Amino acid sequence: MRLFASRLPLTGRVAAGVVLLLWLVAACSPLFAERARTIRLEERLQAPSATHPFGTDDLGRDLLARVVTATPISLAIGLVAAGVSLGIGFTVGATAGYFGGAVDLVLSRLVEVMLCFPVLFLLLALAAVLPPSPATVIAAIGLTTWAGDARYARSEILRIRELDYARAARAMGASTPRILARHLLPNALPPLIVSAAFGVGWAILAEAALSFLGVGLPAPAVSWGGILSTAPNWIEEAWWIALFPGLALFLTVAAYNLLAEGLRAISTEAGRGV
Amino acid sequence: MIRYVGRRLLLAVPTLFGISVIVFVLLHLAPGTPGAGGAESLRRVSGKAAEEMRRLYGLDRPLPEQFARWLGRVVRLDLGESFVDHRPVGERIREALPNTIVLNGLALVLAIGLAIPLGVAAGSRPESTFDRTSGAVLFALYSLPTFWGALLLQTLFSAQLKWFPLFGVASDAAPGGFAGFADRLAHLALPVTCLTYGTLAFVARLVRSGIVEARASDYVLASRARGASRRRAIWRHAFPNALLPVITLAGLLVPAVLSGSVVVEKIFAWPGLGRLYLDSILARDYPVILALSLLSAAVTLIATLAADIALAAADPRVRDGSGV
Repeated sequence: MRLFASRLPLTGRVAAGVVLLLWLVAACSPLFAERARTIRLEERLQAPSATHPFGTDDLGRDLLARVVTATPISLAIGLVAAGVSLGIGFTVGATAGYFGGAVDLVLSRLVEVMLCFPVLFLLLALAAVLPPSPATVIAAIGLTTWAGDARYARSEILRIRELDYARAARAMGASTPRILARHLLPNALPPLIVSAAFGVGWAILAEAALSFLGVGLPAPAVSWGGILSTAPNWIEEAWWIALFPGLALFLTVAAYNLLAEGLRAISTEAGRGV
Repeated sequence: MIRYVGRRLLLAVPTLFGISVIVFVLLHLAPGTPGAGGAESLRRVSGKAAEEMRRLYGLDRPLPEQFARWLGRVVRLDLGESFVDHRPVGERIREALPNTIVLNGLALVLAIGLAIPLGVAAGSRPESTFDRTSGAVLFALYSLPTFWGALLLQTLFSAQLKWFPLFGVASDAAPGGFAGFADRLAHLALPVTCLTYGTLAFVARLVRSGIVEARASDYVLASRARGASRRRAIWRHAFPNALLPVITLAGLLVPAVLSGSVVVEKIFAWPGLGRLYLDSILARDYPVILALSLLSAAVTLIATLAADIALAAADPRVRDGSGV
């Protein structure tokens, strides 16, 4: 692990630090829940000040507290949705790559079909037909973004299955599930971790976009996209409603992307693998 | 070449069929249809709309028959009527289409036109100050959510500086002639910027890495050894090869820009397909939703095909089949 961290480029290490910090903020966020809920109409739309560092929203709620309160849900949805997407993508891609032939032909066509839909179109359609809930948001993101992961997993498995150790395992009579789980999966993992790190950033962005467009998390939940969706109403009066939640979102997405690029730099290094 | 094009077109047929299957599945997930189930989802759609859905899509028929009927109507471009204003879906799409084409077309042309010189300049001197600075800026733009970018631009350039209008296609009392044209351009400026920067960052980074890789290769070094200028070595030898992955991915830029268009059109109240789609989603106007999902996927498919064919024209290895 220490070796791993030391091989990460400086930007990647900074990004990893930011991600850790964000999760720390998320862990502390219950402390701010009370403040985030308190409505004080007499303090509405106040500019940033010492008492309200991020200002207040149109109901006089403290914006800093609201941005902090939204952190855990955004991070968690991003992580779980990216996990779902990677899970489906890896299963489909690995199946296609390992079995080849007709299986590959059918699954590859399916992947091609999925890639034809503009992600946001499919995402909105799913969010519209399923009942609004965090599970819907996660399912919608997972079900619409797996195709890219599948393509990646397929090419990785195709490459690895012809390597000597995989052939040796087959020659020794290892069963298909054993070859997949014991030999192919662990070796296909490093590039998939990179893709997963990009996926988390993307999923956080997708959740924010859905909430911004009004089909994301239902009312009581606070999310960055949800706070931002009120910003256009006050664009002339209260720039801080647009600035701070977006800054949090940008910082998070950028940190995950930078971390992913750092991980990619490691996995494509000469030795590849670990 | 003709054989390659023919094969690609033939392969597109099952994909097109698959697209219509996905949209059909989507229709069956919709509340009020047999596929949806659950009292919760039924509550959200009125009895009248549910009745209309049943009539329109023949939902009381067996599934294969439903699918065949639906496909038959789609092939005849009969997309049904909107639940909201009962006008033909095709008519609503035709109204919105030009606005989206102007917005997305401009954004794509600008993004690619700016990204190529930027990427080449950065890639031909890797790790130079210019490369590092542009790299950082492009990375930031790449991670900048479109809707936040739009809000920031509106806050700065519309609300504070008052340089550009906040939203819309043209002013209410738009003057004619040149002044009217300038007015429309002013309305285009911010939405086009929003739609451009993400694609720009993506393409520029791609071009840069292509150039970095190509300039170290033997054929570029050889051209330098033969006495070609730096500029010639980069543009004549490295650039065409760096462009190949860009051509491949150009087809995927279309769905990305279409997705961005939904967000940008909402924020800037731009009456295009993206906003029509979002409005239909919020109103659960299924005929419009299905038609637009189908249309957007078909457009993407066409763009991907065009990109593949362009790649085959540019790279003989692809059309000979030795590269694929």
